[in-house]
Amino acid sequence: MNLIFEFDEFDDIIVTEFGVGNKIGNRVECVGIPVDIGVKKVLFEMAHGTWNEMWSAGNHPVEYDPGEKYGSTDYVFVPADGEMDDIVRGIHDANVLRIDSGALNKPEEISFYFARFIDSKRQHLTAVRRASRFKGVLKSSIMSFVNDSLKIVEDQVFRLDNDFDLLVDSEATHILRPSAFEFICQLRQRILGAVSANVRSIRQYLSFVDFGVVQKYASIHPRAARYLASINKQNLAGIDRRELVKSCRDTGVKITLIGDIVTVSEKHVMGFLEVLDRRRYEVNLVPDSPERFRAGSRRRIT
Amino acid sequence: MVFSSLCPLFLLWTVRGSDLFPDVYFVAACLALAILPSAVMFWRVSIVKRNKDRRLIVVGTTDDQKSHILSYLFAILLPFYRTEMNDHREFIAMCVALAFIVFLFWWLNLHYINVIFALFRYHVYTVYPPVDGNPYAVHGAFVLISHRRSLNQGDEVMAYRLSNTVYWELR
Repeated sequence: MNLIFEFDEFDDIIVTEFGVGNKIGNRVECVGIPVDIGVKKVLFEMAHGTWNEMWSAGNHPVEYDPGEKYGSTDYVFVPADGEMDDIVRGIHDANVLRIDSGALNKPEEISFYFARFIDSKRQHLTAVRRASRFKGVLKSSIMSFVNDSLKIVEDQVFRLDNDFDLLVDSEATHILRPSAFEFICQLRQRILGAVSANVRSIRQYLSFVDFGVVQKYASIHPRAARYLASINKQNLAGIDRRELVKSCRDTGVKITLIGDIVTVSEKHVMGFLEVLDRRRYEVNLVPDSPERFRAGSRRRIT
Repeated sequence: MVFSSLCPLFLLWTVRGSDLFPDVYFVAACLALAILPSAVMFWRVSIVKRNKDRRLIVVGTTDDQKSHILSYLFAILLPFYRTEMNDHREFIAMCVALAFIVFLFWWLNLHYINVIFALFRYHVYTVYPPVDGNPYAVHGAFVLISHRRSLNQGDEVMAYRLSNTVYWELR
C-alpha cells in the first residue's frame, strides 16, 4: 500500500504545521502552534521515519478490525470513506486551523499532537501521535553541556517522540499503533455508542436470533461491543441457523431455542459473539478428542 | 502593524513640524514612529519566511477592502494632519485621540490598512473560508494581502502567516 505523499527532501515540503489536540469532555479541540524551522525539520524526520517503519513491516497492511487484538505496533489501515477515523480526518481536511500559542501552557490537557505537511505536488499528509512523553514538562532535571561543564536546564521542555502513531493521506489512515489510534479517535466510547446501530444492522441478516440480551450486555462491555462492530463488517448474508446452532454447541456455547429463535444467556454472550465473529472453533486432529480454541486475532485465508 | 499603517501621518507631521517642540526632537520622533513600526513589520516578514510559516488557504468568499482606504484617508489621516498642536493641552488631546484610533485599529483588525501595501501594488482582501462544517477549521474571516487582482471561490493561495488573522501572499 502506498502513501499519497512524497518524502523527498525537507526543502521540498512547502507547508509544515504543528498542533495539539485536547479532549474536553466528549469533544476534541485542535489548535495550531507556531514552531520554528528546527522543529519543522524534526517533525518531518519523525513522519518519514514512521513511514519507513510501516514500509519495513511488509507494506501489505490489513484493514483495521475493532474486534482484533493487536500488538503494540501493527501496521493496519482504515479507508478514507469510513467513520472510525473522522477525528484525524477532520484535522487533515481542515482548511486553516485556529492558532493558539498558549496551548502548551497546560500540558496536562494535551491528548495528542500532530503535524500537517503539504508536499511539492500539493499532496497533504497529517501525522498524529498520542501525547504520553510529550505531556511533560519533565519532572526530572535535564542537564546541558555548556562551556565544558554541565548545567541544569531551567526552561520548560517538551519532548517529541521518535515517530508518529498514524499517518493520514487522501485515501487512508495508516496506523502503526492501533491502541493509540483507538485512544485518539475515541473508539472505545464510539464503539459502545454504536451497539444498538450494529445490532439493528446485524438483525437484518440474522432475524432468527434474539439479540436483546446481547445488546444489553454489549452496551456496557467494551469487548462485546467490539465484537459486534467486527461482526457487522463480516459477510452475514447466508448464515444458516442450523450451522450456527451446531457451531455454538460444538464450541461449548449454551444457547436456547424458543421455536425457531436462537437465544443466549448473559453468561454465554461472549462465546456466542466469538462464534459469529469466526473466533471460536473446534479442531478434531485427534479422533474423539475435540479441541476448542478462541482466536484473539485471526486472518481469513480464503 | 497598526503603527505601521499610520506611517503616512507621521511623515506628514515630519514635514509640517510643530511650534510646540524643537524641530530636531519632533522630526526625530515622527521619523522614528514612521520608520520603526514598518521596520518591525518587515522583520516579522523575514522571520516567517525563515521559519517557512506558510499556509495553503482555500478561499470561500472575499471582500476587497479598497473602500477602507478611503475611510482611512478621510476619517483619520486628514483630520489628524489638520489638528493644530499649538499648546500642550491640544497636543495631549491629540495623543489621546491617536491612542483610541490605534486601539480601534487593533481591536477591529484594521491594521492591514497600510499605504505601504498599496505602494508595492498589493491588494487587501477579507477572506471567508468555505463553509464545510469542519469542527477544527477556522470559520471566521481573516485578511489576505495579495498581488492578485481578484480572488475566486475555491482558489488555493499559499500565504505567509503574519499574525493569526493576517496572511501575506508574497511574490
